[in-house]
Amino acid sequence: MSLDQIGLWAGVVFTLMIFSYLLGDNFLYRLAIYIFAGVAAGFVFIVALQSAILPWLRTTVLAPNLGVAERAFGLTPVILGALLLLKISPRFGRLGNLALAFIIGVGTAVAMVGVVSGTLIPLANVTADSITDDRLSAVIVLIGVIATLIYFMYVARRIPGQLAPTGRRGLLVQVISVVGKGFIVVTLSALYAGALLSSLTIFSERVAAVIARITGG
Amino acid sequence: MRRLLAILASVITIGVGLVTIYDLTIGDGALAAAFLRLAAATLALMIAAGVINLIIVHVGRILRLRRGWVYSLVLLISAFATVGFWLAGQTDATNLLLNSVQVPVESALAGLLFFALVYGAYRLLHKRFTWAGLLFVIVLLILLVGALPLEQFAPARQIRDWVLSVPVSAGARGILFGIALATIVTGVRVLVGQDRSYRE
Repeated sequence: MSLDQIGLWAGVVFTLMIFSYLLGDNFLYRLAIYIFAGVAAGFVFIVALQSAILPWLRTTVLAPNLGVAERAFGLTPVILGALLLLKISPRFGRLGNLALAFIIGVGTAVAMVGVVSGTLIPLANVTADSITDDRLSAVIVLIGVIATLIYFMYVARRIPGQLAPTGRRGLLVQVISVVGKGFIVVTLSALYAGALLSSLTIFSERVAAVIARITGG
Repeated sequence: MRRLLAILASVITIGVGLVTIYDLTIGDGALAAAFLRLAAATLALMIAAGVINLIIVHVGRILRLRRGWVYSLVLLISAFATVGFWLAGQTDATNLLLNSVQVPVESALAGLLFFALVYGAYRLLHKRFTWAGLLFVIVLLILLVGALPLEQFAPARQIRDWVLSVPVSAGARGILFGIALATIVTGVRVLVGQDRSYRE
């Protein structure tokens, strides 16, 4: 039996072990899941090492003809990583906040710029452009977008004489948010249908693979 | 000391954030790229530390013979085999593990999701009857029937196409706008120092 054939049979066995969950939680399912977790952890370690850590070290700390400043810069992730590991210590845990602060600062900036240039501007352009195609559909899309946004508006009204906000929306906002809720339900339903069809396709492909291997087809 | 560290953390977040935004929008992007590489290398180190922690936890379970230690042993063997094959340069064996364990198990788990989704849809109507639940199921049925490649369901296919291109498109854009605006609001809160949860 060749290595490829062993691999194909192993795939079938693992598929059946996972599908055994349909009969309830059992030893075979758990065994497959733990093997999967082990292999996944191994691959995650390899990818982190191969595509991020080693290239970083090769271009900074281990690179020839580099000055002290560049090498010190190369050690910065190690220092930040060590600081993050200190988070598990009750005594020195606060030092880990410094590394976390750096990552949050970079992450926040990248997310904000990315969201403006990658989501807000293109979406606004697409929504505005669609008005020229089909007027009725464009109006529905416009109403849907506005109503969906208003559904997520959780602003409480302060009533005179009351210290705390009531948490009640105005009547107009209530009506619009019901429309928005309808659009959200339709969207989530479409996503659900997509997930159902995708999982059904994958399930039938797996079943077909198992049958083909067993029957030798 | 505690207060000084908290102030320092805020200064780092606000300073690094503002410099990165400036460099990404107005500057040449070199400094932002350096910051990003630094953050990516740190996160990669943390991922490696996480995997090592997983190994330590399961070694502990085996040594103390805790319930399920056999599973921990299996996990360790598979993890060490994966890394060992890679270190030994056995590309065929590494690919075999990927194609015969990783891909089939992931596919089978995705296939199992089908049963969970069908059961979830059944429970949605069985538990509580609301107009939103009813609308959800009606749209779901229209979209599923419309996906059938049969001539008899051509009208359902037309309705499906309209639903996908108009109301679903509107809802999806609204949700995406909401996420984008919420991201900006949260980002601004972090950058003006109003959100300081990272200092806790």
